Amino acid sequence: MIRFDKVTKTYPGQKRPALDALDLEIEKGEFVFLVGASGSGKSTFLRLILRETTPTTGRVYVAGKEINKLSSWKVPKLRRQVGTVFQDFRLLPNKTVSENVAFALQVIGKSRSEIAKVVPETLEMVGLEGKGHRMPDELSGGEQQRVAVARAFVNRPMILIADEPTGNLDPGTSVGIMKLLDRINRTDTTVVMATHDSSIVDQMRKRVIELEGGLIVRDEARGIYGYQN
Amino acid sequence: MRATLSELGQSLSRNKSMTISLVVTMTVSLLLVSLGLLINSQVNRTEKYFGDKLQVQVNLCTKNSPSTNCIGGVATDDQKAAVKAALNDNPEVKSFDVRTPTDNYERARALLGQSDSGKAQLETLGPDSFPESYFVTLKDAQKYDGVVSQLSGMDGVGNVNSLKKLLGPLFDILRNMKWASWGIAGLLVLAAILQVSNTIRMTAFARRREIGIMRLVGASSWHIQLPFVLESLLAALISATLAAAALVGFMYVVVYGYLRDTLGTLTTWVGWREAGLAIGGTTLLALLLALIPTLVMTRKYLDV
Repeated sequence: MIRFDKVTKTYPGQKRPALDALDLEIEKGEFVFLVGASGSGKSTFLRLILRETTPTTGRVYVAGKEINKLSSWKVPKLRRQVGTVFQDFRLLPNKTVSENVAFALQVIGKSRSEIAKVVPETLEMVGLEGKGHRMPDELSGGEQQRVAVARAFVNRPMILIADEPTGNLDPGTSVGIMKLLDRINRTDTTVVMATHDSSIVDQMRKRVIELEGGLIVRDEARGIYGYQN
Repeated sequence: MRATLSELGQSLSRNKSMTISLVVTMTVSLLLVSLGLLINSQVNRTEKYFGDKLQVQVNLCTKNSPSTNCIGGVATDDQKAAVKAALNDNPEVKSFDVRTPTDNYERARALLGQSDSGKAQLETLGPDSFPESYFVTLKDAQKYDGVVSQLSGMDGVGNVNSLKKLLGPLFDILRNMKWASWGIAGLLVLAAILQVSNTIRMTAFARRREIGIMRLVGASSWHIQLPFVLESLLAALISATLAAAALVGFMYVVVYGYLRDTLGTLTTWVGWREAGLAIGGTTLLALLLALIPTLVMTRKYLDV
């Protein structure tokens, strides 16, 4: 589903590469934690999957497409296959919960009837049934993140990227969000989650890829946050 | 489309003051461009009008002519023959008509007889006060200099008038007005382009969250750009309509209400056809003014 083939990414004006000859493959339906200190290359890794940037050398394949060769007008099509969730939710404050979720479908030209059918289903799936008419500021942090997950998943993408989705949440709420991501993963959606939350990584026991200075220093099938002795 | 239109509505209400200032700048610049086009048409029209009619008028000496060519008094037959021969031989001359002193006297009576002061003037004048004249049609109305200078120096020639020369300052004024209006219009067009760019940048900044989400969920570039393009086009169309209305007002009040009535005998004035062409041209310019910077700026700020 995602393949990095000797990928190096050096930003202009930087001597040290953000990613250094990275080789990696993530299969369809996998749940992967991406861990590492700030500046280790996690964000660059995620940006490459979203084709927000291109590798300096090497090749990146996402959902069967080589992103280096993807012309810019085909990028939106790729992004419809990749849902994204952020630490800061990024909801539109002037739209209701339903409108926030529907927005993701409206802007890719889905029909009103389809939107009317899919949005309530997705809200129910993320545990927000009956809250569609609320404004984001009337919701708790956990609920707001559920809206963000609903928006990322409403188009049923093949890949879900989560960049520190529990970074702003208390541990109890974080568990709820992780259960939700796990549920999404069980629909055969590949989930790639960058996190600093050791307890979550330790509890979930999924594949863990650790980056350090742009290199993979650890790749374990059922890993934990820190090094295993 | 509904979503795009609703975004357009939201964006317009958020950018009310920017949109109004853009419309004002564009309207004034478009109006000046259209006035420049109109003045240009007027210059062409006036040149054509006088180009068809303008002749060089050669007046021979009368008994009272002050010219140094007229020391001998009224032009002699030999002098007349020499002038005619010079006209016949000059390659710039297409043809010429002879007007006798009596013809000229009758024309003066018709013209001066319209007013009391003119009638009083006529009492002191007789046919012998008027010269024999030659009305020369040139092959190229612009090339009057050679004929005028050649004939001015001949004995028996009282004076040589070229209406083209007399009306030169009028043409200069019209041309200067045209360049002035185009110059100011050029500056305002530049201001309008910068304002369109600025509006796009500010709108893109105000909507950065929506745009960021649109990009992430896979909205196409065109879908992201469309509200911006529609907003600019709407501002351009409003500006073009206002400028057209102002030009129609100008035509109605100034051209038809004043120039055609009071200065109708001076030249033929521009009409609705020229105004229509100027409006068409400026509307096209308005659309380009809105579209080109919008597409460039949205590409810069909103590309996926």
